[in-house]
Amino acid sequence: MNNSNQLKMTVYTSLFVALIAIGAFIVIPIGPVPIVLQNMFVLLAGILLGPVWGLTCVAIYLLIGFAGLPVFAGGTSGIGKLFGPTGGYLLGYLPAVFVTASISKGLGKKMSSDIIAMMIGSLIVYAAGVPWLKIVTSMTYEKALAVGMYPFLIGDALKIIAAAFIAKTLRPVIKL
Amino acid sequence: MAQVTPFTYRQGKSILHLLDVRCKFFIICLLSMSLLPAHFLACFFYGFILFFFFKNAGLNILSTLNHIKYFILLLFFIFIARALTMKGDIIFSFYDLSITVQGLNEGFLVSFKFFLVMLTGVIFSSTTKPSSVKSAVQWFLKPVPFVPEKRVAIMISLALSFMPVILNQAREISEAQKARCADLQKNPVKKIIRLVLPLLKKTFLSADYLVLAMESRCYSDDRTDPEFIPSGKEFYFLAASVLLSLGFAWL
Repeated sequence: MNNSNQLKMTVYTSLFVALIAIGAFIVIPIGPVPIVLQNMFVLLAGILLGPVWGLTCVAIYLLIGFAGLPVFAGGTSGIGKLFGPTGGYLLGYLPAVFVTASISKGLGKKMSSDIIAMMIGSLIVYAAGVPWLKIVTSMTYEKALAVGMYPFLIGDALKIIAAAFIAKTLRPVIKL
Repeated sequence: MAQVTPFTYRQGKSILHLLDVRCKFFIICLLSMSLLPAHFLACFFYGFILFFFFKNAGLNILSTLNHIKYFILLLFFIFIARALTMKGDIIFSFYDLSITVQGLNEGFLVSFKFFLVMLTGVIFSSTTKPSSVKSAVQWFLKPVPFVPEKRVAIMISLALSFMPVILNQAREISEAQKARCADLQKNPVKKIIRLVLPLLKKTFLSADYLVLAMESRCYSDDRTDPEFIPSGKEFYFLAASVLLSLGFAWL
């Protein structure tokens, strides 16, 4: 990768770090549970930036959050967040973005492959987040799933479909 | 950004504002981790110390509590979940559900710890400039192999400067669409696309301009290291926090 491309990827990655951070504040009022766009931007980072830069992007987001910048949901931050009830979801973003990007790249960056990649990515986030929530709160798996996964599935499905359209439209624009 | 995140940096000259950011970061990590296995007495003691520094840093406790009300709600759920699932001396029973003394104690302790850890984070981000956090991250990453700490630092700076720009653009787009009756759109996928697509196009365009500007100014990773200005009280704070964390283990 030449210097110019590397600089471009550096800036785009920073842009996605900012998007993920403010994704928690961009609310779209749909139905009783408003949709926030944070996890959509995580998955889009994987789809658009590729495995390495996507992973870098999420790693930097988590790093600045754990270091104390208020970039987590609700303007929170700090290393304590890692041990909190939602720490699993945050750490789950790392494998999720890598796997999403790798599948999308491997299957040829088509809309259908993007949807499959993002579905698997979302499941990875829940696979990390729900057991974490269960352990921290001492809930049963049924309760942890009812609180930490089921209410968000419909919103996630909508976000994945929207993200696939967005990725398809943006790829030629940003020429990555 | 300031309107959205209440825990952004507040100007001030308190002890915590002047303390070296690396020292603050180390203390926060140490205390947050040593608080997790701590008992009631240690938590209350730590709570008093936090309260003192909250006041000292000029932060408003009520408005902070108001801003973290959803987090407090989550803690309340954790409290209930622990109270209901822990076995022990039953004080109240309703069908299959029973609240135990041990459950109440354990639930309160766990929620209180998370609350204190959260408040520690609030104090840190309210008394530390984002640019100082960036410098500290760069300093801590320096000995880590295979991590280009200078590039990470520039990415953090860029992300921090992008955040208000993106938020403003998101607001502009949202207002423009409301003015065009976009609220009447029922399809949720279209709603998301119509907000996010123009937002991403706009921000990528500004990113392209930024790349051009950086290239034309011969940007490179070889930049001057950040400077830290210690207040001279770092040693006392470090010693006190180590003693405190040892005390937590003992209590």
